[in-house]
Amino acid sequence: MSDNELQSAATKLFTVHSRWQDVGEAETAGWAPQLWDALQQSGFSDVPVAEELGGAGGSVADAVQLLRAAGAHAAPVPLAEAGLVGGWLLGCAGLALPKGVRTILPPAARLRLDGDRLFGTAPAVAWGHRAESVVGLVDGVVVLAPGPAAPSGGPAVSRGANLADEPRDTVVFDGVPVTARADAPDEVSEEKLWERTALGRAALMAGAISAIAAMTLRYSGEREQFGRPIGRFQAVQAHLVTIHQQAAVVASAVDGAVEAVELGRGSFEIACAKMLADRAAQLVTAAAHQTHGAIGMTKEYPLHYLTRRLWAWKDEAGGHHRWADLLGGALVARGPDALYPAIQYGSEVIQ
Amino acid sequence: MLTSPATLTAPELELRQQVGAFLAETLPWGTFEPGLGMGAEVNPEFSAAVAERGWVGMAVPARYGGRDATAVDRFVVVEELLRWGAPVGHHWVADRQIAPVLVRYGTEEQKRWLLPRICRGELCFCIGMSEPDAGSDLASVRTRGVRDGDHWRVSGVKVWTSNAMRADFMIALCRTGEGARHQGLSRFLIDMRSPGVTVTPIPFLNGSTDHFAEVVLDGVPVPDEMVIGDIGQGWTQNANELAFERSGPDRWISTFLLVQEFVREWPDLAATPAGSRLVGELAAQYWVLRRLSLAVARAIDAGDTPAAEAALIKEMGTRFEQDVVSALRELLDRELVCSVPPAQTPSLFERLLRRAVLDSPSFTIRGGTNEVLRGVAAKGLS
Repeated sequence: MSDNELQSAATKLFTVHSRWQDVGEAETAGWAPQLWDALQQSGFSDVPVAEELGGAGGSVADAVQLLRAAGAHAAPVPLAEAGLVGGWLLGCAGLALPKGVRTILPPAARLRLDGDRLFGTAPAVAWGHRAESVVGLVDGVVVLAPGPAAPSGGPAVSRGANLADEPRDTVVFDGVPVTARADAPDEVSEEKLWERTALGRAALMAGAISAIAAMTLRYSGEREQFGRPIGRFQAVQAHLVTIHQQAAVVASAVDGAVEAVELGRGSFEIACAKMLADRAAQLVTAAAHQTHGAIGMTKEYPLHYLTRRLWAWKDEAGGHHRWADLLGGALVARGPDALYPAIQYGSEVIQ
Repeated sequence: MLTSPATLTAPELELRQQVGAFLAETLPWGTFEPGLGMGAEVNPEFSAAVAERGWVGMAVPARYGGRDATAVDRFVVVEELLRWGAPVGHHWVADRQIAPVLVRYGTEEQKRWLLPRICRGELCFCIGMSEPDAGSDLASVRTRGVRDGDHWRVSGVKVWTSNAMRADFMIALCRTGEGARHQGLSRFLIDMRSPGVTVTPIPFLNGSTDHFAEVVLDGVPVPDEMVIGDIGQGWTQNANELAFERSGPDRWISTFLLVQEFVREWPDLAATPAGSRLVGELAAQYWVLRRLSLAVARAIDAGDTPAAEAALIKEMGTRFEQDVVSALRELLDRELVCSVPPAQTPSLFERLLRRAVLDSPSFTIRGGTNEVLRGVAAKGLS
């Protein structure tokens, strides 16, 4: 599929299966079975995993494209966890994709392997309670294990949720036997897992921000006060400009991160992209709510599906400070004359 | 929007290497006083040396002395010059603004006469837009061009004109006819040595008296050959240029050297958690502003006129230039007091910082205030 075909196919799927009403229902029920089935049938949940491992093929750019569409529709499913992050981790280790719902054990999890048995606690696992399998990186080993929703022998789970009522569950392993395991190749480290997770969040955020930009522009043209559309007032235009500036910033940053990852690097660009997306989330949600006024605060109007996700996602996969500290520390260590080349060449010259 | 690739091709990277090598040789670091972006020093010899390499007016067609280069090539050259704090003041306006205007609207005669001299770095231009009663509301200019026999006579007052005291020519926006606000405006090239031109410096708040000026035009004779484009089309022409003018590296890079020299002169503070965090945050913003700015240059090369996008970038980039200054001051949290005359302070960082604090309010004013830019950008959204 070309970029445009993929984008329009994805948009079509989410438009049908991730309507605001569906998102609302999934927030209550903790799951969106029809949406997930559609993603599995289309193969979108299995991008970018190679076909010989049971995936749907595709590039990192394809996976990010899908996540942008998912973010724009606030899709209540672990798409990033299944594909860009979890699928990548399995693929790197040469492990085949399992059937059913899968998610990732986040890099912050405290886990250990004893032979083939998994011990420890994984906090904030996205849709953990629905996962039939979980993927994780434990002491340099890529692990595929039964999830809490496995037919038998899965780990214990307790439900949690982020600000957007997306399930973020605590999963406890007390010697659960793993399904498959393989040593992670050299290029896969805990830091790389952080980066992939952050790229996934930044892509979702880019999608959500672009949807907010369109929604707010539309509303400001329709809503009339003082006898004219509110978008004609300079003070409101300033909000629209902020939102569109930040949409451009995050879109370009995610593009840049993808370009670098496809060249086999990307630490610098992903750190930048996540930082910029986090900052944009603050600016965009504030400006969009201010433009919408009271109606934007209601459950009935869909702005909150997007803004609550941005508030949640900005702190997930490492918040602004984690990435700023990491990047800034590396830049300062390289000294003043390496600073501008790093801005120009990114991860080509700095790790 | 702005999805064009933000990476450089091999020839573009080669060009960057050449500019870097030229600067290291012609203007070694530590042997000159670096400036803050486009507000850097004026140095005709340096401009001639840059031009010698073919990097002034480089997008001009070769038959008029240019190099047939792209907007991205020019981006590459300008980025290297500005991040070095090079003294670009003499040729800056000619290169960024006048050369593209002449290529697009100039007569064959004007092109043959002026473009080769611009490309040799000889000519310095000033821009006669603002007037005492026409700042952001540019369409209300009152300077008039009146027909007098076989030529025009221009009268009025231009103010806050950068480099008027050393410019060879001014490009002046004048009213030549009646009609709705945006009609009846025309642009003239005015030879600054013409009778009736009086330049009076306007001291800048930083103490400089050789930058800003008032220019009184008292019946200045202007021949038809000095009219730019068609009489009455000045406003439309002006609006079309803004994509070139508004989105270049000069709109976000002006205070970069502060960050670089902060890391050099305050390594311990830069290595604290607060220092590193700030450097990381600023690097991310430089990285993405540069990407967006480069994407506009690519779009221009593809034949687009991304004026609204350029306005979005300038509005954001110039605010960022100011934020860099305040963030560094906040981190340093110390008085800016020199024990010697400020110009003799041995610390380059301190000299740059003093200048940046005093100059930075102008970043969001020059070339269109941010308030006006937001209006331009908002119109482009719908």
